[in-house]
Amino acid sequence: MSSVTIPSPATASEETHWWKSRTLRRFMRHRLAVIGVAMITILVLSCVFGPYLLPYDELFIDLRARFAPPLTGYHIFGTDPLGRDIAARLFNAGRISLLVGFFAMLMSTALGTLIGIIAGYRGGLTGAILMRIVDAFLSFPSIFLLLALAAFIKPSPFMITVIIALTSWMEVARIVNAEIRSIRERDFVLAARSLGYRNSTIMLKELLPNAIGPIIVAGTLTVARAILLEAYVSFLGYGIQPPLPSWGNMLNGAQQYLDRAPWLAIVPGVAITLAVTSFNFIGDGLRDALDARSDLE
Amino acid sequence: MSDNKNDVLTHPTRRQVMGQTLGLMALRASGVVFSGVPGFSQALAAGEKSIKGQLIISFSQEPTVFNPHMPHIEVDDGIHFSLFDPLFYVDPEGKFVAALAAEVPTVENGGISADGLTWKVKLREGVKWHDGAPFTAEDVKATFELLVNPDFRSWRKTGHDLIRDLKVVSPTEITWRMEKAFAPYPSILASTFITPKHLMSASADPNNAPFNNAPVGTGPFKWVERVAGDHITLEANADYFAEGPYVERLIYKYIPDLNVMYTQFKAGDIDVLGLQWITPDHYEEAKDLPGMTVSVVPAATVESFSFNMDRPQFKDPAVREALYAAIDKAAIIDALYYGLPAPTETYMPQQSFYYNPDLPKQAYDIDKAKELLDTAGWAPGPDGIRAKDGVKLAFTCSTTAGNHIREQVQQYIQQSFKDLGVEMSISNLPPAVMWGEYWMMSKFDTVIVGLNFLTGSDPDTSDYFRSTSIPAKGGAGQNTWQYANPEVDALLAKGGEVFVPEERKAAYAKVQEIMRKDLPFLPLFQYATVQGNKQGIEGINPNVNTRINTWNVGMWRRA
Amino acid sequence: MLSYIVSRLLQSLVLLLLVSIIGFAVLNLAPGGPLSQYALTPGMTQETMDRIAHQMGLDRPLPIQYLDWIWRLLQGDWGKSYRDQLPVLQIISSHLFATLLLMGTSMVISIAVGTWIGVRGATKRYSIFDYTATVGAMVALSIPTFWFGLVAIYVFALRLKWLPAGNMYTVGDGSFMDYATHLILPSLVLALVDIAVWSRYMRTATLDVINQDFVRTARAKGLSERAVLMTHVLRNALIPMITLAGLQLPTILGGALVTETVFTWPGMGRLFLDSLGYHDYPVVMGLLMFSAILVLVGSLIADILVAFVDPRVRLG
Repeated sequence: MSSVTIPSPATASEETHWWKSRTLRRFMRHRLAVIGVAMITILVLSCVFGPYLLPYDELFIDLRARFAPPLTGYHIFGTDPLGRDIAARLFNAGRISLLVGFFAMLMSTALGTLIGIIAGYRGGLTGAILMRIVDAFLSFPSIFLLLALAAFIKPSPFMITVIIALTSWMEVARIVNAEIRSIRERDFVLAARSLGYRNSTIMLKELLPNAIGPIIVAGTLTVARAILLEAYVSFLGYGIQPPLPSWGNMLNGAQQYLDRAPWLAIVPGVAITLAVTSFNFIGDGLRDALDARSDLE
Repeated sequence: MSDNKNDVLTHPTRRQVMGQTLGLMALRASGVVFSGVPGFSQALAAGEKSIKGQLIISFSQEPTVFNPHMPHIEVDDGIHFSLFDPLFYVDPEGKFVAALAAEVPTVENGGISADGLTWKVKLREGVKWHDGAPFTAEDVKATFELLVNPDFRSWRKTGHDLIRDLKVVSPTEITWRMEKAFAPYPSILASTFITPKHLMSASADPNNAPFNNAPVGTGPFKWVERVAGDHITLEANADYFAEGPYVERLIYKYIPDLNVMYTQFKAGDIDVLGLQWITPDHYEEAKDLPGMTVSVVPAATVESFSFNMDRPQFKDPAVREALYAAIDKAAIIDALYYGLPAPTETYMPQQSFYYNPDLPKQAYDIDKAKELLDTAGWAPGPDGIRAKDGVKLAFTCSTTAGNHIREQVQQYIQQSFKDLGVEMSISNLPPAVMWGEYWMMSKFDTVIVGLNFLTGSDPDTSDYFRSTSIPAKGGAGQNTWQYANPEVDALLAKGGEVFVPEERKAAYAKVQEIMRKDLPFLPLFQYATVQGNKQGIEGINPNVNTRINTWNVGMWRRA
Repeated sequence: MLSYIVSRLLQSLVLLLLVSIIGFAVLNLAPGGPLSQYALTPGMTQETMDRIAHQMGLDRPLPIQYLDWIWRLLQGDWGKSYRDQLPVLQIISSHLFATLLLMGTSMVISIAVGTWIGVRGATKRYSIFDYTATVGAMVALSIPTFWFGLVAIYVFALRLKWLPAGNMYTVGDGSFMDYATHLILPSLVLALVDIAVWSRYMRTATLDVINQDFVRTARAKGLSERAVLMTHVLRNALIPMITLAGLQLPTILGGALVTETVFTWPGMGRLFLDSLGYHDYPVVMGLLMFSAILVLVGSLIADILVAFVDPRVRLG
């Protein structure tokens, strides 16, 4: 046990190129995942370039053109109660919603992974306390935490992202904790420890790579979840504030006009569903491809 | 039209109380009603009341406070009016009408001394509480004492705390002395319901008395039950001393969503709509609904774009004036509010005797607004935002999150201001946050808010405009604009001391003129509500001096 | 077994304490307060608001308020609502029926439909049905519930006018049929996600069971496919589902919240939103503790039940 290099499962296959990897091949065989990637690509491209192709500014108010139904003139998706073009708003909203979803995922995954690794590696009292905190957070209905926190903080896209992240890191923490516990006593970890590696090095270099699969899967699903959460919070009026559009706040108030202007509700809802479905498809595909445990909740 | 009408709408109440010689003359001139409740004699003559059927009244907020002396909201008022009576109330014309008092106390009938300090109120005989106990002067005394009880969460002590030497002379007579003459007191009394001593004193802690959730009053209806989160049932008080009731049962149904409420109204599930009635966007359709009576009813609330005058941007009057000129009021009212509310230049309801109709009319003129700012030295910076002496013309605007039309108004104004080189960002808050310290302690830049500045029909607004009423500076009132103008202070003081309505009117007209010039808030419009009921229900009579349309529910009947 | 339950209970108590501290802190540190709703009452002054806040004890330091609250709670006093002075437990229980009715109906629907889809999908693995169910479940999990509710209201209430748009019953009616028609839309909307969850889990569980020896034996004995399915597969596949059902109990508050808002259903979810809006802390805290207790009790009961039903599981 005196050799300096410690073979760890994650680094074993580093020689091969990633695009030739079995994982990728398995992923590409997963038809839904491919559809998901395609849909999300189209969505992202529309949101990035769409606004430049439309003749309307997403903030331009024209009270004479209120409630125009879809396909009125160049208003392909119609207009809202202030006469703003819904297509222009939808694409700009998509930028916000997708960014919020993505960054919320990054933050919550980082936080969850950190807590999960420490709890799993340390175990004992530290681990127990950390995991009880995780349990405590999980005991709240997440919508409560969101609303309570949103009432606290001035809602800006950044703060909403932070709030969503603060309410969705727990599951990652659980998954990582379970993963780490299962490998903590394996030979390569014991070896690293006996060599006097610092704990932080062991956690980052030895343990983390082994949990990366489940983390990626959980992360993908978290994007989906974060987009949904943003929609819920903004729908209830506590999220992204107008005039900045987000898919969620475009739905806020749509119920009031459901009878006379149903497109106000239908258009952003379809966008949300498409985006969330795509990420769920991708997550499912990744899970199969990475052969991660299939009982993620 | 309004001039003639306003003569009828006299609110001469102050003087009636304070009764100096001049006041007496005005009193006679204005023809105050001294008799009892209108229709009372007819009802007695008819011998018996015909009580039949039930009425379902909908509220979009849930009534939860049934002790009328504790802090409560509008819809709670609606229940209080059904269960309780004040000594006298204020009718739609602004006149006082006796209820539990045998007659409205005045100088003429000896109820109030010439200096306005000594009161003697005769009470109606033979009135019984819903539980059968007789109503006496002891109940009135106990009510007044409860209102100033330091352990009790009384929502309003104002005026009551001036009462001294409260004495029960006989079961039907009570007297007291006022520490000082206080002009708005009759209006306060008109919204002070009398509660039963024997039930209120039964509990050691009046804040948690069983009475608070099983109220007993003298009113036209008796408490039956409340299903929390759903509805409240009341039944007819057949022994009611005045006119009515004419229906066996009232059901106050809580429907938290205005669209659902409207749908159910259309379907005929609701007899009479209560607060918040029909949203403006449904008016066009609603007014032609078969079998329904739908009308536009003005309310005393005035919508304003309010400034925090302590912010450096808003200290310059030119800024406030320019922003006012940049608001397209007509577009907001016509497009977003479907033309229902009336534009206004003042905080005073247009139905009030004290309304000043001669204020300059605001006109939407973006060029004039630009010119005003240019002249005042607010020049556009490199980012297009105007600035002067390092102060950028950028600020936030807040209002209650979830008020959709108002949020649209906000975004519309935001665009207009942007054209002007003014950056307004929106920061809306949930109601419990918005109207807490954020509003009361002036932590906002600007706010869009609807306020009813008056107590009943009384024009006194000292708590809102006096420079000593600024909570952020340790004041006791609700001058959240932090508005301070010695002239207004003096006029408000004078308005509270002079008891001749015409003289008072001069003072308050001047206050309105100064407020229009100073613009601590930009008056947008006076509220109009779209109220509705099934045809064949009679007696519904909106009252701009109360907050709720069920103020006279005892007189409602099915034809 | 007993020691397991005791230690789980102790852990749960610690957890509840944590939940109460976090909840109380988050709520009370947020700006605004229960008196804000009275600010716009004509004639309201800051002086009056300060006085009432003092009388209600709202101006005391937060730790004191918390200790006061938790001390009363330990004695069984859940406090009284700031809005209507009613005891918190009474308020919660008066909203419980509406929520239980909605959740119960939707749970029955989702378990029945979800089990059917899951088992059928597993027995006919990789069939068109299985594939459609899989895709359908994932899409269902991706649709925002409130939006689905809006679409359902638009189609079935506003356009087709088949069903009411909201509320639990028509004012003045309240017959069984009236409740039933009001129940259809919200319970189906709520069931959508649960059907998806149940069918996925059921499919996995059935696949696990279907290849086990005793099933093969049963089949070898010549039992009909249907009998094998009903007596052997289904029974064993349902065992892990007990855990799932236990874990679903807590969603009673969170899950129904948005649906109740969209359909103006007078249940606990809306009570929660209303109370949060008014900053009615005692009720919000009560609901939080109530739902946290449900979470803990739910998972505890589920674990114990599984241990009873399935002797292979050992608690320790």
